[in-house]
Amino acid sequence: MDTITFNVRRFDGEDAWNQEYSFKRQTITLLGALNMIREELDDSLCFTQACRHSICGSCAITVNGSAYLACETQLDELIDTFQTNYFYLAPLNNFPVVRDLVVSFDEKAEKMSKVMPWMCPHEGRHDHKQSEADHQKYQQATDCVMCGCCASGCSELRYSNDNYLEPFIMNKAYRFIRDSRDEKGEDRVKIILENDLWKCLHCNQCATKCPKGIPVSSEISYMRRMALRMGEDKSMGARHAYCFRDDLIKTGILNEAMLAVKTEGIVKCAANRIPFTMRMVLSGKMNPLHVMLQKPVKGIDGVRKLYEISQKMDKED
Amino acid sequence: MSTLRYAFFPGCTLESAANELKVSTEITCKKLGIELVEIEGWTCCGASQVQDVDDFFGLLVNARNIALAESQGFDQIMTVCNTCTLMLRTAKSRIDADPALKDKVNDALAEIGLEYKGTAEITHYLWALVRDYGLDRLKEQVKVDLSNLHVANYYGCHILMPPKIMGFENDRNPQSMEMVMKALGAVSVDYEQRLACCGFHAIYPAEKEAETGNAVSLAVAKEAGADCVVTPCPLCHFSLDMWQKDSQEYIDTDITIPVLHLPQVVGLALGFSPKELAINHHVVSAMPLMKSLGLK
Repeated sequence: MDTITFNVRRFDGEDAWNQEYSFKRQTITLLGALNMIREELDDSLCFTQACRHSICGSCAITVNGSAYLACETQLDELIDTFQTNYFYLAPLNNFPVVRDLVVSFDEKAEKMSKVMPWMCPHEGRHDHKQSEADHQKYQQATDCVMCGCCASGCSELRYSNDNYLEPFIMNKAYRFIRDSRDEKGEDRVKIILENDLWKCLHCNQCATKCPKGIPVSSEISYMRRMALRMGEDKSMGARHAYCFRDDLIKTGILNEAMLAVKTEGIVKCAANRIPFTMRMVLSGKMNPLHVMLQKPVKGIDGVRKLYEISQKMDKED
Repeated sequence: MSTLRYAFFPGCTLESAANELKVSTEITCKKLGIELVEIEGWTCCGASQVQDVDDFFGLLVNARNIALAESQGFDQIMTVCNTCTLMLRTAKSRIDADPALKDKVNDALAEIGLEYKGTAEITHYLWALVRDYGLDRLKEQVKVDLSNLHVANYYGCHILMPPKIMGFENDRNPQSMEMVMKALGAVSVDYEQRLACCGFHAIYPAEKEAETGNAVSLAVAKEAGADCVVTPCPLCHFSLDMWQKDSQEYIDTDITIPVLHLPQVVGLALGFSPKELAINHHVVSAMPLMKSLGLK
């Protein structure tokens, strides 16, 4: 593996093509290697960069389809991960491409303004002291450098319309929702709810690809719970989530046969799911009697007791 | 070599829609000399949904599941579902990292006569084959030549991510499925969607997105020359097999391809018949493929 080859997705605004660049293996970051290619092999190669120490968030690209912040990624790490000396470099997924590895954040910034990514202080309150515990509630969310790695990996964004919010936008909303100095938390949750909050597929790509390790999927979960506390519990996603909690208390086991009915409602389910149900029954995957005959697990009283205890615990704010 | 023994956590799908996974898991483990004892009184793990309603209750039910296995004398729990593995490991990871939370959980469990000790590890059938049983040993057990079987390995998200909790292998380029297939003598095809998301957890609210994604995954797998898709997760199986006809609506090319559970492919290599592995219970029939491979 003495020679490294980058196969780079190029784009000049009209035509797209792939171009190979080879260089000698060395201890260097991915961004360092891109700069070396531009300085020594091809000064027309476009990519974005600024700080070179993972603060500005401007150098994220994909390697073999997986998003990396180029300045903090060692070439050795890529070789170790993919066990090869040949890599496919491309711009971030789920962004419009401007040129080569450069993507546009313009539409995303416009979209971000929906969630009011600024402090909305409590009206009439002049003292904004904050306890350490309150600060900790949002502190990690402020680590976001808006590099776009989360959005590149997001499984929902890949095939969604423009409504669904990028994980870094969700994180930005969460950052203010959890800030005790801000008073527009519920307004932001309503906005996110209108922007398909329940469409997150739970794939965990956002939290995994984030170079700062921000647990975005847990933040999305928090915002869902908050929506439910606000009484926003009629959507399909909310009804679906309730099925699992309710079946845990009822029998301890999910009643799969009733899941679609409870999630979609009987009318929509009857209209949409008859062929699906027939396929399930015919292949021996669904026993209609199962709906009636499901018995509670051994120790169900204990599960119900745990539920009672959890309801008496301090509620999250 | 000592016998491998696990507390078995089947998860809800094995009780109904994916009963064929329970059948194939149990007979392959028995054949390999792996002892599985179903955890008495286990409940649903909450399926990556319960935390959206009640986070602490979700934590408690999984602490209970782990505590049950511990109280029944086990230090290893095996699952066959990516999401069950994630939910149980998430609970364990949170409780083990936070003594105050552990006290709070144990105060609740004490009310029902249980204690979470943290002595049991949680693993998945795939990991157990690779790490505990060993691929060389698995290879020695192979009775049937599967060199004509081209499989598209479909990992599913929750067996890989988040890596802080799952951590068995690199989430950007996992190899365990390919390694197991190689040991079994089957051929893994390389295709771009092997780490795609099946969308199971939001397949109702995000039906179009989930099914479009699955249509693309299956089309690409077929194009790469796969005879079938193989997955270690019954929820991925659910989306890819049972919803396959719905996914077909979103793409022009024919995506019809059978989807097998990992233990079913293990079972074929070990010499079980397709019927013994309940391979005749998929919505998209795998029986023509079995016939073409000469497997009766």
